[in-house]
Amino acid sequence: MGLFDKLAGWLGLKKEVNVLCLGLDNSGKTTIINKLKPSNAQTQDIVPTIGFSIEKFKTSSLSFTVFDMSGQGRYRNLWEHYYKEGQAIIFVIDSADKLRMVVAKEELDTLLNHPDIKHRRVPILFFANKMDVRDALSSVKVSQLLCLENIKDKPWHICATDALKGEGLQEGVDWLQDQIKTMRT
Amino acid sequence: MSVGEASTDGGKWLDAHYDPVAGLHTFSSCVALADLSGDGDSRLVLGDLGSAGSGMKLKVYRGTVLTNESSLLDLPAGLVSFFMDLHEPRIPAVAVASGPCIYVYKNLRPYFKFTLPGLEINTLEQDVWRQVREGQIDPSTLKEMLESLRTSDVPLSARSLHLLSLDVEQAEQFVHLHKQQPIRRQTVITCMGTLKKSTADEDGVSCLVIGTESSHVFILDPEAFIILTKMELPAPPTRMDVTGQFDVEFRITVACRNGNIYILRRESDRPKYCIELSSHAVGLVRVGKNVVVGCTDESLQGFTQKGKKLWRTVLPAPITTMAAMDLPTRGFQGVLVGVASCEVLLFRHKNLLSSVRMPDAVSSICFGRYGREDGTLIMTTKGGGLMVKILKRTAAFEDRDGAPGPPQAQSIRLNVPKKTKLYVDQTLRERESAPAMHRAFMMDLSRLRLAAAKAMVKVLECSLTPVSSGVGQPLKINAVVQGLGPAFKLTLNVQNTAACRPVMDLAISFQYDQSLYRVRTPFLRIPLLVPGIIYPLETFVDCTSDKGVSDIIKVFVLHGGRSAPLLTAHINMPVSEGLTLN
Ligand SMILES: Nc1nc2c(ncn2[C@@H]2O[C@H](COP(=O)(O)OP(=O)(O)OP(=O)(O)O)[C@@H](O)[C@H]2O)c(=O)[nH]1
Ligand SMILES: [Mg+2]
Repeated sequence: MGLFDKLAGWLGLKKEVNVLCLGLDNSGKTTIINKLKPSNAQTQDIVPTIGFSIEKFKTSSLSFTVFDMSGQGRYRNLWEHYYKEGQAIIFVIDSADKLRMVVAKEELDTLLNHPDIKHRRVPILFFANKMDVRDALSSVKVSQLLCLENIKDKPWHICATDALKGEGLQEGVDWLQDQIKTMRT
Repeated sequence: MSVGEASTDGGKWLDAHYDPVAGLHTFSSCVALADLSGDGDSRLVLGDLGSAGSGMKLKVYRGTVLTNESSLLDLPAGLVSFFMDLHEPRIPAVAVASGPCIYVYKNLRPYFKFTLPGLEINTLEQDVWRQVREGQIDPSTLKEMLESLRTSDVPLSARSLHLLSLDVEQAEQFVHLHKQQPIRRQTVITCMGTLKKSTADEDGVSCLVIGTESSHVFILDPEAFIILTKMELPAPPTRMDVTGQFDVEFRITVACRNGNIYILRRESDRPKYCIELSSHAVGLVRVGKNVVVGCTDESLQGFTQKGKKLWRTVLPAPITTMAAMDLPTRGFQGVLVGVASCEVLLFRHKNLLSSVRMPDAVSSICFGRYGREDGTLIMTTKGGGLMVKILKRTAAFEDRDGAPGPPQAQSIRLNVPKKTKLYVDQTLRERESAPAMHRAFMMDLSRLRLAAAKAMVKVLECSLTPVSSGVGQPLKINAVVQGLGPAFKLTLNVQNTAACRPVMDLAISFQYDQSLYRVRTPFLRIPLLVPGIIYPLETFVDCTSDKGVSDIIKVFVLHGGRSAPLLTAHINMPVSEGLTLN
């Protein structure tokens, strides 16, 4: 950890990171981000996001600004306008929606081939969400179906999560925090 | 888009699911997509025809899994999902038509059964059954009498028809078993559709529209299940499309078994328009205000809603099934056509936009919102497979006119200069005095013809032609003038054009201006002319004038003992370029 970071840590100033939260509609993006916020800031009812919304939450050393994008088909073309700002990506997958796994893969491939992303070492955190649902796919199966092993030039990580209970989220966010810190120093 | 992509699916579809052994046997009319639990997750509902008349089932898929299955009593003829009431949450019901009944399911549980009213039974048929019941006639007489009724085109009940198909022993048993029950004559449902009651809302209450074997179309009230309207057709309907609202204005387009398509409207209980097809319809799909019909002659035809034919396009193979592809979010409307060559073709109007290769021929196609994806294409195959494809978000269909037609260049406007005042005046004059101009022209033409005829008569009378047409001596003459002058050599080529008769006793003389010319031998004797051979006769002409003028020399071919020449040639002499020596 660099001196500045340590100093900032002592002073209570945390480094700001912009994170894009992407994934198909109904995958649980808003639910996940809501769960990562301090419990007094969480909302109870979560409705489908229109366009996008900006949320903030903090970890031990970072201050995250999350762009919670809407995953609905008609808003997906908004995603690419935020790629430049994004320093990290959270990609959420509904592990119970087998039918649309191809659509998630298609959107992921489009993302990875976008000029604003292709040549940058942006860390990507995959949440294989809704693992509590009966006959949901395992995170291994999800990463197989999305061909994650083909991502060679970017750090990535996948965790199985249950956003309703908040299970698996912390593991992912810790990984992301480490990635961002190594990236900076 | 490259040319190659146009002939394939061009990467427009994502392969979401394929189960080659799903064991589904159904048609497009028995497949529907509906949000059956009201959670925004659309299900696939199928009426499975089973195999060999058994195993008919109502099946429900969610995503890639079969979630519900319940038996059907009879083969399904149609399946629709519709809102039958205004209760919250808005959950659609499913109606399955089979035989004379409609089974309505709510929350996937049987909810209501509607049976079509029975048809009138012929009094004679009733009478013979009464007689057999009272023991007045025996079963074989009954059979004979029914047979004679049938031959006189009386529509019989199913029971009588069944009896006629049995042999004597079975017939006796059959009669004993059934004679006590009253006879019923039932029709069966052939096709079904839905019609919004009073609003065009997506979740508005809909009426059921059914077509029957008795050539009727019924509109049923969704809540009370009473017949609101009964309409009559000239033939049994096989396929239908319904649009509009019952309380406002609607159109029911039905393809019938007589090969015609009829269009029914709100005001009348008889067809308003009729489209006579050259072959039977196998598919009927509405695209906007038009209907697209697939026919057995491997063609796809477009019609307006008034029955005017718009276009026709030929398909590579027979049609197996058809469905509409409606994507309102992208403003796209097209028609999906399954063909026997294991392909699904997508048409917009008459243009082929793309095609999807299939492992097997498709038996049903359904396009719409499945799960949470709006552009989902669901197909079942002949072998019972289920295939789900999802249209890519970025897929674009380019409208290219594949059919050979006028090239693009033809529609480019040419830079034609503006019409001048003179042109306009002339055109006006031509328009106003056309009859007068025509008369003047006809008069001049007649005069010209008269002048020509007169000249011709004169020529013939005087034998002034270089070719003699006389019956006796057909001759031809032509003359060649050589030299610069004042002396010219004149060669006359004479030919007998008769088939085999030689000509004798001919001579040639000249007529000319004696002050200008002198012909050295003004009279030539022609030898016997053998047919076909050209005889050159030569003489010399001297020009005696030095004034540089020229004249015509007339050559006469004469025949001994005749005063008129046989033929005449005019020789235009050239101007002499030298002076005469004497
Ligand atoms: N069972 C289960 N349900 C979940 C889980 N995560 C989210 N959901 C539910 O999934 C639904 C959609 O969640 P959202 O967070 O709105 O999804 P989203 O990705 O933000 O959707 P858009 O904003 O439309 O892109 C909600 O009803 C959540 O309650 C999970 O882990 N398990
Ligand atoms: Mg959201």
